Amino acid sequence: MLRIPCPHCGARDEIEFTYRGDATVARPGPDAGVDAFHDYLYLRTNPRGWQAEWWQHSSGCRAFLKLLRHTVTHEIRAVATATETLEVPGA
Amino acid sequence: MSAPEATHPLAAVATPGLRGAAGVAPLRVSLPVRETVQVMVRRGREEAFAAAMEASFGMAPPAPGHTLAGGAVTAIWIQPGGFMLTGAGPGLAERAALAFVGLAAVEDQSHGRTTITVSGPAARAVLARGCRLDLHTRAFGPGRAAMTQIAHIGCLLHQVDDAPSFELTVFSTLAEPFFHWLVEAGSGDGVVIA
Repeated sequence: MLRIPCPHCGARDEIEFTYRGDATVARPGPDAGVDAFHDYLYLRTNPRGWQAEWWQHSSGCRAFLKLLRHTVTHEIRAVATATETLEVPGA
Repeated sequence: MSAPEATHPLAAVATPGLRGAAGVAPLRVSLPVRETVQVMVRRGREEAFAAAMEASFGMAPPAPGHTLAGGAVTAIWIQPGGFMLTGAGPGLAERAALAFVGLAAVEDQSHGRTTITVSGPAARAVLARGCRLDLHTRAFGPGRAAMTQIAHIGCLLHQVDDAPSFELTVFSTLAEPFFHWLVEAGSGDGVVIA
């Protein structure tokens, strides 16, 4: 069970949040072609280590947050609002 | 906008009396009449909104996680740029709509939300059976508010006084199952419904 430090509400239980996947994926331009869209839709890096991910505080302030979470230890090192950027360190 | 509902959503289940054991410190439950108005500030209009709030309701917008009371109206912070105004009404939605023209989206939620007040020394222990927030005096207190889940039901919780009294605002469609949970959770020391 995670305790997620929401920048608006403070530390809250994981049950209030909805996991929304990898936050580093960027939608390709409209002319990028079907291969680029296939990769955008289906391909994920699935790292063993640090990952930037979307978590929506759906039962709290409704905000979309970016979290830097370690996929092995579940340590949460940083949290940012949707418009901020998160630096993802190497594994 | 909306007139009070002819029948309270909990009228059938929240009949006055004692439920559960007759303990020394029962949980006190009441159903206050509340007009509930959701206000969402337009991007970039925060300062003008704060001025309009001061002019119309005599208070600044509450800080994150807090409430402010100005006269008969209580403003509750629910999200960045989002507030819930509650009061005994009537006419709160109209007042807010006039005050915040061009500054915020105003939506009357009076029929969509139901407010339940719980109070008494047992209140923290009973809420702790379904609420994952720390409501201890060191972490919470009068004038604090939080959107959270209680018994898996989305709930806006704010503390009114040191009794302690909490106001729980839930979706009206889920008020009945929420109320059943509340009565079950408090049955050990009894629940007195006003």
